[in-house]
Amino acid sequence: MMGYIVRRILQMVPILIGITLIVFVLLRVSGDPILLMLGEEATPEQVAQLRQAYGLDRPIVEQYLIYMRDLIGGDFGTSLRYNGQPALEVVLERLPATARLAGMALLIAIAISLPAGVISAIYRGRAPEYIASFFSVLGQAMPNFWLGIMLILIFAIGLGWFPVSGQEDRFAVVLPGLALGASLAAVLTRLLRSSLIEVLNQDYIRTARAKGIRPGAVLARHAMRNALLSYLTVIGLEAASLMAGAVVTEQVFAWPGIGLLAIQAINSRDMAVVQTIVILAAVIVMVTNLVVDVLYSVIDPRIQHG
Amino acid sequence: MNIKLLMRTGLVLAAMALPHLAVPAVAQTRELVVAQGIDTSGFDPHAHTTAAIEAIHVNIFDYLVMRDGKGELQPALAESWEQVSDTAMRFKLREGVLFHDGTEMTAEDVKFSLERPAHDESVIQHSFYDTIKEVEVVNDHEVIIHTDGPDPILLNRVSRIGSGIVPKAYVDKVGWEKFAVAPIGTGPFKVVEWRRDDRIIMEGFKEHWRGAPVWDRLIHRTIPEDSTRVGELISGGVDIATNIPSQDKERVDASGVATTKPWPSFRVMELFVNMKEGSPLADPRVREAVELAIDNRMLIDTVFSGLGTPVRAAVTPGLSAVPMEYHNTFQYDPERAVELLKEAGYGPNELTLKIQGPSGRYPLDVETMEIIAVMLNAVGINTTIEALEWSSYNSRIWTPNNIEHLALIGHANSLQDGYHAVQRARCGLEYSDKTGWCSAEFDELVERSAVTVDQEERAKILAEAFKMLTDSRSIIYLLQLENIIGISDKIEWEPSPDEQLWMYAVKPKG
Repeated sequence: MMGYIVRRILQMVPILIGITLIVFVLLRVSGDPILLMLGEEATPEQVAQLRQAYGLDRPIVEQYLIYMRDLIGGDFGTSLRYNGQPALEVVLERLPATARLAGMALLIAIAISLPAGVISAIYRGRAPEYIASFFSVLGQAMPNFWLGIMLILIFAIGLGWFPVSGQEDRFAVVLPGLALGASLAAVLTRLLRSSLIEVLNQDYIRTARAKGIRPGAVLARHAMRNALLSYLTVIGLEAASLMAGAVVTEQVFAWPGIGLLAIQAINSRDMAVVQTIVILAAVIVMVTNLVVDVLYSVIDPRIQHG
Repeated sequence: MNIKLLMRTGLVLAAMALPHLAVPAVAQTRELVVAQGIDTSGFDPHAHTTAAIEAIHVNIFDYLVMRDGKGELQPALAESWEQVSDTAMRFKLREGVLFHDGTEMTAEDVKFSLERPAHDESVIQHSFYDTIKEVEVVNDHEVIIHTDGPDPILLNRVSRIGSGIVPKAYVDKVGWEKFAVAPIGTGPFKVVEWRRDDRIIMEGFKEHWRGAPVWDRLIHRTIPEDSTRVGELISGGVDIATNIPSQDKERVDASGVATTKPWPSFRVMELFVNMKEGSPLADPRVREAVELAIDNRMLIDTVFSGLGTPVRAAVTPGLSAVPMEYHNTFQYDPERAVELLKEAGYGPNELTLKIQGPSGRYPLDVETMEIIAVMLNAVGINTTIEALEWSSYNSRIWTPNNIEHLALIGHANSLQDGYHAVQRARCGLEYSDKTGWCSAEFDELVERSAVTVDQEERAKILAEAFKMLTDSRSIIYLLQLENIIGISDKIEWEPSPDEQLWMYAVKPKG
């Protein structure tokens, strides 16, 4: 197992290098950050001066090598948008907000999908399943920016139960969490339902029932443990992508997380910040994948990693 | 039971309890909350060119001279000024002005604050201050600003972005990088905390030279999404919200909580015309036809719900030395446009023009191009539209001068002066490189205006220059943009035309 973990960690290195290279090149060919900083009134002299000051007049290969040299030394560069503030500092200060939002979204998704998935599996072909399926499809179909705006209109402006935006109020995370968690809940409901149906049709479940074990105990002690494997895997993977930032939800709710930072950094071609976010997101996803894979073999001893 | 003992005990207990029963005096904190779509990039006054960022900074820093609600220059940190020669202006500084850290502002701080953008080529504001040669300290409360040649708009320079006065001692101690996150100024509000892309929390500076602001706290919130910003305004979460979309104007006005007001900007939307050899627009008749085909008023009414003013030059109220006869006017004559095209050899649908522009950079920029295309179609000009994300448009079309026929852009005027509106149309400069228009006579007029100190004379010279530029139709001017600002009914405030959110002027109602 240790060998497997070490191999997976080593595999991350070339992946990260590849990612930094792609993002580096794409950012530099997609627009000039100096023009964006200076605006329409920029003179060619000013543009040339600032490009030189920021090292952007050097050949792209040289810029990349300097960037990688600094990165290995722990220097993620400085933000163009934030007047030279360290990019890593700018990104890390957003993590708590993103973690809070991701946590709430996951909590809501689990709170909805667990009962909904179980009910729709147990009551297959009957009204409860149809109702659960309806909301599941609705949750997946609704664009989350639209859902966010509707939630604001109804629960914040209309009823005044929650703040409209920001994260000052302790309940401020509920509406954005709901907007973000709704579609995840839909996916998880359907996943749990299918897993559970498959498990409930297994011979050992039939045996357990035949032995007279109560249906609740069959479900909790035998069926759910197996059905939850893929459910937990998806939760783990989704947690990672939520931590990488929920761009649209953060924009709608003015939630100052990594997603909002990412979109603004991209729009202003704040290269160091974009690169830092991408690296951080890649690391989070890769580490989470690894943790999920390792946990899999812990939960299910039949799965071995050589 | 001993009654006396009981009564005494009761009295003692009551005396002990009384202070706890008194209702504590609750300090009323007067808080004002303002919401914009963008956050500051930091608090270095020389490191940005954005009006929306300066709208925050004006609460933290003061200038030597400031504009009042009508755009007129008024004394601020400088009590008075006089032109001592063509290249020197003396400023008498206000005494007893304190920075937020309690230190007193002196001439050394003014020298430090203005010489940095003047001399440091790496700061973004440098090109707006490079006429300043030296800031001479006469005594603690007097400076003379020496310029490289006559500078008739020196007062404009020291009353705008980049001229906020900062404390030299503090910056020397902490450096600009730290200053950019923990600023100190002389403004009516001091920064307590900055949570990036969330809010800036400021406290009223009780020792401000104008007197303590009426607000104990000023919170500037960043709410990028228009509908959310409107939602916060009508739910009472914010007191002022900028850039209300025109489709939400009625909703805000009907809310009973807030009202909208027009907020004219200095930005003028323009079509740059490629009139270089080989382009169909090299023919002045075709250029005139394009201008006559566009109904600026209908464009404003259709796209901007009536908010905006048609213009035939880059002129807006509040600018110095601009001919206002080009404001609130336009030329529209589609029949004449068709005739001109025929004279130029183009029958119906024989000419195709491409309209290029950014998408999402300016309000309703794509819609503007679409309506212009329809108007050109109506006079028999076929059109194609190329709308690109701003950075792509800037890098691929605008900056490298790759305009095919017509290119949409919006220009503000951060120096608030006529010279700045036209000077880049001189031969060899940016506008001329884009359009191909070059006139030695125009250049001479503009250059003369740059060194003419007599303001009346200067205005006459610039009026001639403006006429030449407008008549060339190398730039077809469309409209002055007007934003909408939402203001809570609990406060009184008249927004100023310079897009600044100077919150000292806001008062609670009643």
